[in-house]
Amino acid sequence: MAEIRLEGLSKAFGAHRVVRDVSLTVADGEFCVFVGPSGCGKSTLLRLIAGLETASAGRILIGGEDVTDREPYDRHLSMVFQSYALYPHMSVRDNIAFALRTARMPEREVARRVAEAARILRLEGLLERRPAQLSGGQRQRVAIGRAIVREPKAFLFDEPLSNLDAALRADTRVEIAALHRTLGATTIYVTHDQVEAMTLADRIVVLREGRMVQTGTPRDLYERPGDVFVAQFLGSPRMNLVPAAAEAEGVRLAGGARAFAAPWARGPLAQVGVRPEQCRIVAPDAGLVAGLVRASEYHGSALHVVVETAGGDRLSVLAPPDLSLREGEAVGVDFAPEAAHPFAADGTRLQGG
Amino acid sequence: MRSRAFENAVLASPLVLFLLAILGFPALLSLVYAVSETTFRTLTAPRFVGGANFAAVWADGAFWRAAWFSLRFGAITAVLQCALGLFLAVYLYPLIRRHGWMVAVLIVPMIVAPAMMGLMYRLVLHEFVGPVPHYLYLWFGWSPAFLSPANVFATVVAAETLQWTPFAFLLFLAAYGAIPQDLREAAMVDGTRPWRLFWRIELPLMMPTVFVALFVRFIDGFRVFDNIYTLVGAGPGGATTSLSIYIFETFLRRAEIGKAMAAAVLLFLASTLLFVAARALVLRGREGRG
Amino acid sequence: MALRWAVFGLAALLLNFPVIATAVTAFKAPGEVTRNPSLWIEEPTLANFAAVLTASDRLNIYHHLGNSLVAALIGAVLPLVVAFPLAWAMVRRGVGRGVLFPVVVNLRALPLIIFAIPLYMMYAAAGLLDTRLGLGLVLAVVNLPLAVLLLVNAVGDIPAELEEAARMDGARLPRLLLRVVLPLCRPAFVTAFVFGFITAWNEFLFGLILTTREAVPVTVGASFFFATAGGGVQWGMAAAVMVVAALPPLVLGLVMYRRITGSVMAGAVKG
Ligand SMILES: Nc1ncnc2c1ncn2[C@@H]1O[C@H](COP(=O)(O)OP(=O)(O)O)[C@@H](O)[C@H]1O
Ligand SMILES: [Mg+2]
Repeated sequence: MAEIRLEGLSKAFGAHRVVRDVSLTVADGEFCVFVGPSGCGKSTLLRLIAGLETASAGRILIGGEDVTDREPYDRHLSMVFQSYALYPHMSVRDNIAFALRTARMPEREVARRVAEAARILRLEGLLERRPAQLSGGQRQRVAIGRAIVREPKAFLFDEPLSNLDAALRADTRVEIAALHRTLGATTIYVTHDQVEAMTLADRIVVLREGRMVQTGTPRDLYERPGDVFVAQFLGSPRMNLVPAAAEAEGVRLAGGARAFAAPWARGPLAQVGVRPEQCRIVAPDAGLVAGLVRASEYHGSALHVVVETAGGDRLSVLAPPDLSLREGEAVGVDFAPEAAHPFAADGTRLQGG
Repeated sequence: MRSRAFENAVLASPLVLFLLAILGFPALLSLVYAVSETTFRTLTAPRFVGGANFAAVWADGAFWRAAWFSLRFGAITAVLQCALGLFLAVYLYPLIRRHGWMVAVLIVPMIVAPAMMGLMYRLVLHEFVGPVPHYLYLWFGWSPAFLSPANVFATVVAAETLQWTPFAFLLFLAAYGAIPQDLREAAMVDGTRPWRLFWRIELPLMMPTVFVALFVRFIDGFRVFDNIYTLVGAGPGGATTSLSIYIFETFLRRAEIGKAMAAAVLLFLASTLLFVAARALVLRGREGRG
Repeated sequence: MALRWAVFGLAALLLNFPVIATAVTAFKAPGEVTRNPSLWIEEPTLANFAAVLTASDRLNIYHHLGNSLVAALIGAVLPLVVAFPLAWAMVRRGVGRGVLFPVVVNLRALPLIIFAIPLYMMYAAAGLLDTRLGLGLVLAVVNLPLAVLLLVNAVGDIPAELEEAARMDGARLPRLLLRVVLPLCRPAFVTAFVFGFITAWNEFLFGLILTTREAVPVTVGASFFFATAGGGVQWGMAAAVMVVAALPPLVLGLVMYRRITGSVMAGAVKG
């Protein structure tokens, strides 16, 4: 196990700069998730670390050693691919053993390690099968088995759950978390799914257009997003953003009936963010802002209400499921001042918020 | 990165060395001999004669007759094979989808050596022992002289066509099978009759394959040697002398090595030109249809 | 459907007529061949096959079959050996895509006679005339374009992630090629071998020009039989020779007829 350090790492394909100046340290044993919208350069960043792409600039250090110019096989990492990339012409056993045999490990030791990996991943009965004879979830476990037998310095995962159906995805997510607790290995995990990021990560790195936007624990990022991009990327339904202005008596939302006091009620404030789960539906004149119900979706555990203000801004509210609302009904939306996130016009978070 | 260049060189070298040894050196030789006068006795001492061999080929009426024969033979057999192959593929497709073995029956001719096929036709068309004249006499009281100057061209065209129609057939079968079934279903739901379905939907979708098939079959017809040579040789009065046979005869029969080489160089240039032009056509046809 | 079956029957008969007629003739007694040219055999006999398969001075069929077998094996295997590393380098690293690939594919379009004469000169100097090795080497050239096309397609169909996984698993180039890429290309190897073997076995022109006694392949040997039979061709025996000579590729081709389709397709795709 080892620490992974990136220093000013960049990658361009021709004129297309895909990874831009990323500096980051993933501590030994940490579970780090790279998250961002599709095409933001997550996979490329991961492949740079793996050695499958060569860096245009910057350095990569694994366990303190500079590996920037090393071939993948000299970096002692293992990777689980989105497609699993199992060798279709080999049995599950041979797939898992391939790397060990490549390293010319004695056959007895190979057998022992394969058996151990198979036990951890509950693959014992499947060792003689070919990948084509396995279900998606089983293939996924073989891919993980292939990664763990080598006892690498770190694990790299590239969207490992995206080919599974929803139920299996949730189960496997839990298993990966449990595996990480057992092995305690340094792990870098790429996903575009914010739920995976929130549930798995010790630390999240949010990427956008090849740049690192913010990094921190899931709780940090959820509670204090550094800008509107992060604020809206994490959490579902996504955070409401409402134009707002600082006035003498406090903060007033666009078209708002009343203002509320907040320590960050200063000049640069341009918008206020608030999460749907922290909003309440109240009487039309009792909220911070009033509007008409545009849609209400019954989700079983909650009612997802969309309210449109007179100014045309839309707010999502997660209301108790027993609330009954008609479309077009006038309502007010209210939230606690502590729940509000202040942002400037350029989208960055205001100090003191 | 230096090591990667080295690796690439190692990976490419077996093929490159093989080609250089088997083709590169002979190519040089043929250029030397093409501008020399040589016989089989003076093989190692070619005498430089400049462009004389090329001039001799250029002035040789037999060369131009052979070129005309090859062009005509290639074009006619290609068209016939494609027409017949396309018909068989489309018409038999519903049967073949359920009985794959039918394909095996129809491709037997392409697995038989063309030279052997030529010999077989000698037997089959023979006026005393051949079944074809036998049955023609039996049923119609008449049989043409298949290998006479008047008929020999049609005979070799038929032989070539019957042997290689399966090739075109296979190509069209694959292309026809690759047309998405839902396209047909959509057209049929819209009330399209089978005939119209073929002309307006299926054939246009197979056009790239039609070009490819014509092209490949033309090339093989153009360079024909084996089956004609074993059936009739150069033919009565040289009537079936293809370019390949012309060069072969010039070389082995008449031992005019320099002239044969010069003709081979010309044929190489012509083939390459044809290839490049036809390839461009095929690629354009493919792009045009996305 | 009945009409379709009829068309199939007619096409099968027409296309295969020479083969059928030859096979029938091979089972006729010498006297019957001239008396009865029909497709009906009055007194089936194996005498022609017995005569052909009894080695004689005039025609030692085993000698020719052996020559064809050795030359065709060289001609079918060698292209695969030299094409495989290049195919990988071409797909993954673009090696030779600009010049080598078009040149090799272009070989498919050239009349073989162009190679035959200069090769005759070179072989005469190198002592390869009338040898099985010499014949096998040129047959390898004939099969090279298809081998390259099929292997390039096959390597191109392997997901890049699979090779990346192997690299992460520590495989360097030789192990990657032999343990991962090669097994995955196996269908292409089989296809190229089947078609290559058939093509090489059936080749005639090079046998005619480059061999004279020792290495004469069976296609050429069979035609000698027609030419040298003084006092007229013995049709029954000639037919039996052709049946024997055509049988090896036919058996291979019919058992593997799906492979033939594959190779015809590959040749056409890149044209
Ligand atoms: N080998 C490549 N050549 C050129 N562009 C590439 C290559 N790989 C990725 N890209 C581009 O880089 C960008 C980021 O890709 P990727 O890292 O796969 O994104 P993500 O995994 O975040 O969806 C995309 O615009 C993609 O088109
Ligand atoms: Mg990706």
